[in-house]
Amino acid sequence: MFWRLEREIASVGPEIHGTIFGVPIANSFLLSVGITMLLAIVAYFVIQKFKERPDSTQNIFEYIYESMLELTTQITGSEERSKKIFPVIGALFVYIGIANLIGLIPGVTSFTYKGDALFRTPTSDFNTTVGLALAMIFLIQVISIKEWGFWGYLGRFFKFKEVYQGFKQGVGAGCMAIVEFLVGLLDIIAEGAKVISLSFRLFGNMFAGEVLAVLLLSAVAFVVPALWLSLNLLFAVVQAIVFGSLVAAYYSLAVKDDAEIHN
Amino acid sequence: MELEAATVLAKGLATVSLFGAAIGEGYLIGKALEAIGRNPEMSGDLFTKMIIGVAMAESSAIYALVLFFLI
Repeated sequence: MFWRLEREIASVGPEIHGTIFGVPIANSFLLSVGITMLLAIVAYFVIQKFKERPDSTQNIFEYIYESMLELTTQITGSEERSKKIFPVIGALFVYIGIANLIGLIPGVTSFTYKGDALFRTPTSDFNTTVGLALAMIFLIQVISIKEWGFWGYLGRFFKFKEVYQGFKQGVGAGCMAIVEFLVGLLDIIAEGAKVISLSFRLFGNMFAGEVLAVLLLSAVAFVVPALWLSLNLLFAVVQAIVFGSLVAAYYSLAVKDDAEIHN
Repeated sequence: MELEAATVLAKGLATVSLFGAAIGEGYLIGKALEAIGRNPEMSGDLFTKMIIGVAMAESSAIYALVLFFLI
């Protein structure tokens, strides 16, 4: 029937095309490398040539840069903190934004190579999102160790010192300190939950976008998939913003507040 | 009970959590609209923050959806 268009639903794992020196190359990896090279080319050929008086392309880049910086400053609270973490957060915004949107360009996912799709949205592959989330949480732990010192970092999870000081004050304060000790132990599990929640949120949004597009095409192929595509554009941008701002929020929780620095 | 039947039942049960996500998002949007009504100058700022909040409240629904595809 001409109403419908049957395609098969993409599998959860990526399709492997081949191996290079024993490392399997998946179809989402090709687009990841492509996006990185595109950003490097833009950085070299466009941004190196910026002038004092901006013309139109420079205006667009500066507008995007300043809005990302303002969003990060609202989350971390102070200007100098956000300037420290901004290289990572800005790169997350740009990379994940482009990676989410590149699967929606018509025709990119239609090339096939020996029966499998040649390209696939990078963030609809669970490997990419878990890699990003693990790298970010590991980076935040390293920054936290550098800020508090190694024993101070362990002391945020195992709060022996607070229990000792609480019992010195009195039994009531001591019992509250024991509750705080248990909450500190739960914080260890919370770090693992952060990795899972970051990776699953991004993967689920993008993968569900692909699967629902196939399902809608097999039901009514004429106007309805266009509505779904526009909704998917919104979700792609929003998920990139959410990932970046959550990493910025976790960073600002892991370092000393401004009040403690000035003491 | 065979494995097929148990799988299909599990798929159906996994979507019960979407109910809670919808209630949470509705509450959040209601509070955001109330805040816009009190202070209409900040409505652009509040709308952006509301969209980010909705994306985060939707995440438990997304976990249920991923589980649905994995089962």
